[in-house]
Amino acid sequence: MRQTVSHWRGLLATRLALGLVLLYLLIPLGATLAFGLSGGHGWRGDLSALSAVFGDPDFWLTLLTSLGLAAGTTLLVLLLLTPTAYQVRLRLPQGRGLLETLALLPFAVPPIVLGTGLLQEYNGTAANSPLVVLLSLGLVPLLSNVFPLLDIPLLLVCSYVIVALPFAYRAIDNSLRAVDVKVLTEAAASLGAGWWQTLLQVILPNIWPGVLTAALLTFSTVMGELTLASLFNTYTFPIYLNMTGQNDPHRAALLAVLSFLLTLFCVLGIVPGSRLHAGAGRAALPGQIEGAGLR
Amino acid sequence: MLVRARDEREGQALAGVASRTTGGQPQRRAGRLAGLVTWSVLIPFLLFCLLFELLPVMITIQGSLTNGGTTGLSLASYQRLFGQASNLRAFQNSIALSLVTALIGGLVGAVAAYGLASLRQGWLRNLLVSFCSIAANFAGVPLAFAFIATLGVTGFVTVALRTWLHLDLYSLGFSIYQFWGLVLVYVYFQLPLMVLVTLPALNGLRPEWREAAVNLGASPAGYWWRVALPILFPSLVAGTMLLFANAFGAFATAYALAQGNINLVPILIDFLVNGNVTVDFGLGDALAVGMIVVLLAVVALYTTMLRRASRWLGR
Repeated sequence: MRQTVSHWRGLLATRLALGLVLLYLLIPLGATLAFGLSGGHGWRGDLSALSAVFGDPDFWLTLLTSLGLAAGTTLLVLLLLTPTAYQVRLRLPQGRGLLETLALLPFAVPPIVLGTGLLQEYNGTAANSPLVVLLSLGLVPLLSNVFPLLDIPLLLVCSYVIVALPFAYRAIDNSLRAVDVKVLTEAAASLGAGWWQTLLQVILPNIWPGVLTAALLTFSTVMGELTLASLFNTYTFPIYLNMTGQNDPHRAALLAVLSFLLTLFCVLGIVPGSRLHAGAGRAALPGQIEGAGLR
Repeated sequence: MLVRARDEREGQALAGVASRTTGGQPQRRAGRLAGLVTWSVLIPFLLFCLLFELLPVMITIQGSLTNGGTTGLSLASYQRLFGQASNLRAFQNSIALSLVTALIGGLVGAVAAYGLASLRQGWLRNLLVSFCSIAANFAGVPLAFAFIATLGVTGFVTVALRTWLHLDLYSLGFSIYQFWGLVLVYVYFQLPLMVLVTLPALNGLRPEWREAAVNLGASPAGYWWRVALPILFPSLVAGTMLLFANAFGAFATAYALAQGNINLVPILIDFLVNGNVTVDFGLGDALAVGMIVVLLAVVALYTTMLRRASRWLGR
């Protein structure tokens, strides 16, 4: 009897903690929306503050820039990671350690550090130092000439790929683990499919939830990234947000709500596909479904 | 050597050379060639990582040892790092902020995750997990502005507390723009992240373990103390390490909130390499290497704990 009471007490305590956490997460959202709509002159109750946001041409310009960067990064992440992760699962188990290390390293190299290194690598004197030329097989001097010439901020996209690497790799590799890659590939080969055809028509549909998760997490990360964009002088949506917020906190609040909705759409795309259905039944290790985000 | 031997075997299987008895010279060469083909799929990815992940780190280390490329091999950058109290203070602040938010997020998040895992309504559980995913991804500039709108000088909650409860936070010494304010903001993304990374470990606790413990006479507290917590402990430490790394590298949130008026290592690096007035890559590189060293220790602990967690919770 006493055990049941203490059991219920324990359950109540954990529910209480859950409730408090949810309250902590919800209050700033509600307060921000109210603050944004109040527009600094008390509650107006209309949407004129919102129309002022949408009327700003910089809003659309930076939003488009960020959308383009996010789309480019997502595409590059999938192109680089999917064939690599598939090949390592299929034929190169000895390459796993290397891949895991490369995918874990960005945890130890935050964007501000990565950006500092990249600035010196492609814009500084380091680009022509013999050691760098040798180690990069002569590619760094070549690329440092290409990067400023191109109109699109290619270097920014490349650095975002590295930032997205840990969780994008996790998502794709986890879904590859869930299907029997060897059997599927052998079955496809016995029917005459080549490597690429197998990957695109057999493996990809089977690991689609993981690929989608990787894509949406990458997308949402790039949409909110400030550090590298600021280092590389690119006028993206978060930079616009930061600049606007310094002058007009009410407009900033509305923009923050819009950003939240953007994150919401990205995550809602992930959830039905993978997280709940694939992850509900079986045990997994921490770190496998962590959110991405750039703080 | 072992690797190459296995490589060849894989390669032979790829080339369709099934007979292992006739391991002559041509076959071996074909096997090695096939092994190269097997590895060649990885070339674009590995080259990409070399150019945009490994070389920047190497150049940062090199820069810290040559004072940003201005001198020969010297420890001048590190002497400057350790010579100025403000630099050490930045490390102190960053580590304290990360530790405090990781511990708060880790403890409260783990308990909340248990509350979430024990919910009976599946739809509610799913809804809350999705909400946590969104909140964990809602960070950086928008989060900073959300908190200014909530707890800033004219923020919604600040004004509400002043009007209804006559509680003036700012006259009590609280400020969202200082250390403890920053703690509140960071905890916002740490809590849901901890919930997300702890849930799988909690789901991995088998009911049989509790039944066995109770059959052997354990009280609920005894079960938790002797069985569940020891199994969960590595996962919880790993989660907390993840939170620490997350907070330690965070730049955008603090930058948008305090506009550089708070002394944290990422803010300091940005000031040094992205400054409008002067650029000092030497000191910036040394600070960056300091960050990498701290984070490498954290990541090492993280992977060790994950490996230990997989002993009971792995698949």
